[in-house]
Amino acid sequence: MSEIVLDKLTKRYGDGYEAVKGADFTVADGEFFILVGPSGCGKSTLLNMIVGLEDITSGELRVDDEVINDVDPKDRNMAMVFQSYAIYPHMTVRDNIAFPLKIKKVPKEEIAKRVDEAAELLELTEHLDRKPVHLSGGQRQRVAMGRAIVREPAAFLMDEPLSNLDAKLRVQMRTVLARLQQRLGTTTVYVTHDQTEAMTLGDRVAVMRRGEVQQVGTPKELYNDPANLFVAGFIGSPAMNLLPAELDGGTVKLPMVDVELPADIRERIGDRASGRHLIAGIRPEHFEDAALVGDPDAPGVTFKAPIDVIEWMGAELYVHFTVEGSAHEELRELAEDLETVGLGPTDEAQIVARLDIHSEAKEGQDTELWLDTRKVLLFDADSGENLTREAAAPATADGS
Amino acid sequence: MATTGSTAKRTPVDSFVWALGTIVVVVYALVPIVWLVSLSLKPADKLNDGKFFSGSPTMENYRTIFKDPQFKHALVNSIGIALIATVLAVVLAMFAAYAIVRLEFPGKKLVLSGALAIAMFPPVAIIGPLFNMWRALHLFDTWAGLIIPYMTFTLPLAIWTLSAFFREIPWDLDKAARVDGATPFQAFRQVIAPLAAPGVFTSAILVFIFAWNDFLFAASLTSTNRARTVPAAIAFFTGSSQFDFPAGSIAAASVVVTIPIIVMVLIFQRRIVAGLTSGAVKG
Repeated sequence: MSEIVLDKLTKRYGDGYEAVKGADFTVADGEFFILVGPSGCGKSTLLNMIVGLEDITSGELRVDDEVINDVDPKDRNMAMVFQSYAIYPHMTVRDNIAFPLKIKKVPKEEIAKRVDEAAELLELTEHLDRKPVHLSGGQRQRVAMGRAIVREPAAFLMDEPLSNLDAKLRVQMRTVLARLQQRLGTTTVYVTHDQTEAMTLGDRVAVMRRGEVQQVGTPKELYNDPANLFVAGFIGSPAMNLLPAELDGGTVKLPMVDVELPADIRERIGDRASGRHLIAGIRPEHFEDAALVGDPDAPGVTFKAPIDVIEWMGAELYVHFTVEGSAHEELRELAEDLETVGLGPTDEAQIVARLDIHSEAKEGQDTELWLDTRKVLLFDADSGENLTREAAAPATADGS
Repeated sequence: MATTGSTAKRTPVDSFVWALGTIVVVVYALVPIVWLVSLSLKPADKLNDGKFFSGSPTMENYRTIFKDPQFKHALVNSIGIALIATVLAVVLAMFAAYAIVRLEFPGKKLVLSGALAIAMFPPVAIIGPLFNMWRALHLFDTWAGLIIPYMTFTLPLAIWTLSAFFREIPWDLDKAARVDGATPFQAFRQVIAPLAAPGVFTSAILVFIFAWNDFLFAASLTSTNRARTVPAAIAFFTGSSQFDFPAGSIAAASVVVTIPIIVMVLIFQRRIVAGLTSGAVKG
């Protein structure tokens, strides 16, 4: 049970490369906290700094108000689950789980009791005397979990624990993990590159890019009110549509249609947008088939879209179409960071819209689509800042 | 691991060639040994009868050598010196190899290439100076006087072998052990060393064989029964008269010193199986 405070933590390597730049946030006691970001964003480095496997270059790491920058990993009482599981192959499952207790010289009966409890919790009881080599991936993963929970540590640190499992098992283990954490109530810091995992598991999420924390917030805050372009593009699946835009008075000129902004949004933007390159962000679900708009009073605009691909998934219907408009360089860079593929030619933007499943849109035909003007987000293309952000507080990181 | 992979599809011709090859190799390797054994079992008057098996085998030669106090001393010296050299070399090599694999330190390349250079060095080139140095240091004709050169010449090989094995062990295991509350040494002893066991046994055998078989150092740096090992002692065997070449005794002694090596290899061969680390991480 502990609160972990990261006070401007920085990691600089000998060659001057900064893997983590001033990470500054607090993980509350008992919280399930997620570090998420594309590969190479410094999230694993940050986790290793918390657990003590990487030195801290500057800043302070505090657990329950005690600075632990220079405390040896063995004395931090944190348990870690590795992506590779890192189970000791020469020990049985029982010995693996008991290892931390044996090192701590816990009495034998106590060890046996706690190992049995952990094994039961993770449904490993019948495998206790087997060697890891005979276990399946999911079972090995649970052994690694067992070794962590048996210690009753101050915090769990997990480094992409599910990414080596196949898709189906990963979804199952995700639920198992969430339940386990709720039941034990132990502070957990969890690293992943998968935004779905981050959104579903996390009480709060920190999004990282190139060593910098972009935004810290609940999954809802990140989704509805992203601090910047990167968070907007990273969170959500399918991703938010990002289009070049121009602001003319209260009107946003998008490649396919001009949008009249509602007064409150115009107010929020103020004059910050003047003379700036802008990028508009629209989530797929804020489009609708014009014929099927539920609320006739909702402010919106309609336009014709040349649908080229339709994805029908029973409960959901996605339509894809392309519009003209040269993308700003920031969008390119973003796509690189987000590891999106198939961006297409530079002078086109591809859009995904989520429609009512009753829509009669057909591939290869123009369909009248409706766009909710209240939900259009505007970003400064150069700094990435969300100009339409509801929260008055400035972005955690001022651009990149 | 993958050694049996190619046996799946084997044509009759393949099988024949394989069998032939195997027979040639086995015969080539075993004939001198069988010869040695047969020689050691021959009575003195039949040594030169030119037959492989001359009938009426006798243990006389074995009785003779074990009656000879020189041989018994030499055997004790051989076993003691080889074992101590092996243990010291392997323990030192383990620490060195682990540090080389896991740590970044200035001069790491130098240590590795220096070790290799020592392994390449012709031992005979240092015998002369060593002889004088050892006499000055009172190491001449002592166990330590042999153990030190044996270690020196086998450490490089042991370090290279062991670092190859350590490199195969996922670093996450060290880290996991550290997070689990182990000191660096505990992590090494309880997690890494057991996993490197095949490498340890491989190096141990190599070191032991080197020390056990060495004649050069043993003959040059010893002068009495205090430290003379079996290969050197055999050279001092004498027949019943100065015109009598003690072939039978030499053969018997050679058979006796071969046995420990065979036993060693048979014991450790079972342990030298790679793949002990499989299952540590998702494979």
